[in-house]
Amino acid sequence: MNFAAVRRMALVAAVSLGLASCGINTVPAAEENAKAKWADVEAQFQRRANLIPNLAEVAQGAAENERAILTEVTEARAKATSINVSADDLGDASKMQELAAAQGQMSQGIGRLLASFEAYPQITSTQGYLTLQSQLEGTENRIAVALRDYNEAVRQYNTTIRTFPDTIGANIIHGAEPLVPYTAVTEGADVAPELDLTSD
Amino acid sequence: MRGCCRTVLLGVGSLALACGCAPEETETPPALELTGRVVDAAEILDEQFEKNLTQRLELLEQDTNVQLVIATIPDLQGYDISDYGYQLGRDWGIGDAERNDGLMILVAPNERKVRIEVGLGLEGLVKDEEAAEIIRTGILPKFRTGDFENGISQGVDGLIVEVTPIEPKPAELKEAA
Repeated sequence: MNFAAVRRMALVAAVSLGLASCGINTVPAAEENAKAKWADVEAQFQRRANLIPNLAEVAQGAAENERAILTEVTEARAKATSINVSADDLGDASKMQELAAAQGQMSQGIGRLLASFEAYPQITSTQGYLTLQSQLEGTENRIAVALRDYNEAVRQYNTTIRTFPDTIGANIIHGAEPLVPYTAVTEGADVAPELDLTSD
Repeated sequence: MRGCCRTVLLGVGSLALACGCAPEETETPPALELTGRVVDAAEILDEQFEKNLTQRLELLEQDTNVQLVIATIPDLQGYDISDYGYQLGRDWGIGDAERNDGLMILVAPNERKVRIEVGLGLEGLVKDEEAAEIIRTGILPKFRTGDFENGISQGVDGLIVEVTPIEPKPAELKEAA
């Protein structure tokens, strides 16, 4: 191998190294990661929404108060499902906020509903109720974990596109815009409702 | 006071935890060392019991590939047991990273909480309602009398049933052949 060839190779190596370190690969990778994490969040939201009909069935056996809360929950569900935050909307702060509000309302409603069912031993002692309760609680937990993972992925992505040298590639080549983390607008929206399994 | 003592607040349900993920979260990881299949940090278990239990858990992994870890913690440090649980599971990397099939029974005797953590890959075998049922009917009745060892045994028994594939009975085999 002659000197020129070595120099050419070194140049190629240097250029590719330079490219690699200015965000050519890291920016899309971080973005894809955040999008994948968002897909998890969506799946878990969907899972919770799918449990609402079962909740409605249980509420049939309860009183006016519970049916009123149930109406709130189903309305929040309709609202939440109508707001579609796709992977391309992750930079849309107002849309994200809207979704968080609807999801938060639904979450709180479910928590209140479960709490008020405690007054009905004839409901809470049934196998169907116990199953539903554990599924709802498990789903709340999964949502909380998925949201935290998403927020962490967003944090990493946003740091990547703002930090030198990745920011060069992010701005010039990718035109990367920061993503919006999911913020609970109402307390408890991304936190599992505390279910009191008190027995005495 | 009496009511207070008899009150048992428990977080039940199972949760998808990404066991085996590289510990990269920024949240404060629980400071508890994974020293074996049974980590009795709260010191509520007899040494011989731990030994026997460890053997059972080894056998379980041989038979089913499922890693089940039992942890007792003296202090949740203000964390919700579900938060503590999934972070601990990830931190320890329980289960196979690809299959995501870690299982953990987490006991916080001082906060009177217990939880079964289920890796994402095992959610089909150990469903939320099944985990809750194991806690409600197997673990809790023993824990309420202060019998942590038998409560944990019940929990392990219940989980083993869930993760062990059902073998067809000899009669059914004959029919199939």
